[in-house]
Amino acid sequence: MLALRAVTIVAVGCTLGLLWNGFSGRGFALTGNAFILEGEEFEEIPAATAKARLDKGALFLDSRPLAFYEMSHIPGALPLPEDDFEGAFARLEPRLRGSLDIVVYCSGYGCEASHIVARKLRERRVHAAILHEGWPAWTDAGYSTRPGPQP
Amino acid sequence: MTSRPAWPAVLRHPSLHWILGALLGAVFVYASLDKIANPREFARIVYHYRLIGPSATLGFVPANLLAATLPWIEVVAGALLIAGIWRREAAAVAGSLLVVFIVAVAWALGQGIDLESCGCFTVSGGGRGAGLWLIAGDIGLLAAAAVLTFVRPAARTALRSGAVAVSN
Repeated sequence: MLALRAVTIVAVGCTLGLLWNGFSGRGFALTGNAFILEGEEFEEIPAATAKARLDKGALFLDSRPLAFYEMSHIPGALPLPEDDFEGAFARLEPRLRGSLDIVVYCSGYGCEASHIVARKLRERRVHAAILHEGWPAWTDAGYSTRPGPQP
Repeated sequence: MTSRPAWPAVLRHPSLHWILGALLGAVFVYASLDKIANPREFARIVYHYRLIGPSATLGFVPANLLAATLPWIEVVAGALLIAGIWRREAAAVAGSLLVVFIVAVAWALGQGIDLESCGCFTVSGGGRGAGLWLIAGDIGLLAAAAVLTFVRPAARTALRSGAVAVSN
């Protein structure tokens, strides 16, 4: 009886949750990425595309905390940490305004920093693509990384 | 529980069960409200745990499904605990959820994931972080859930006649 009623409670909760998500107007697409706000669009590119763009001179931005950048980063990338966006943006603004192709990355799927940085850049009229799956996608593909604080 | 274990009379007191049920239920209902109002924000917090995705293998669906349904399981279990209906079963569900929360927070701490919000009571960035105090609080709630699940309250008539004291 305990198990049956407990399962019933969970089942009722799940049903209400899915109904609420579908019909309340507050829900979100269950197959989509909740980091992307409603009506928002990001250009998300896979690692191979990012690598090709890097080879053509794209500017890469590392949105992880600075300590991660200094440990290791994509060669040529500049640090634009999400937790110090204003300061870093002020320093990098001339470079950013002069770049036609910008790619932002962070620590991967559970990481929201690249979406936040790309959003803030867009508010400042700078377009940036997002490296899909971020840092792990890059290292899993076997592309090179660079240790230390120098780009 | 076929044989009656020798729980102390205080743990079997119906008033204690009523109070623990109301408290645990209130915590769960309160915890669910902000998440129900903001499912997308709660999904983002679930992502931050990196426990059931999103990842290359799992995609976004498992984390999204959890974010959409978990607050409603909380509110249903919480409401039943407050109302005293199916209290034992609702406490078992609440206790299971608490075990999941404790494992999730311990996992995040172990992985060095910096959760700026644990997603416990609010989905805003200013919410409580995930730390050892949070685990301690969850263990306290888990103890209440365990009492409600495993200790059968004494019948009120038995209590009045002193049968409880005799049986223990």
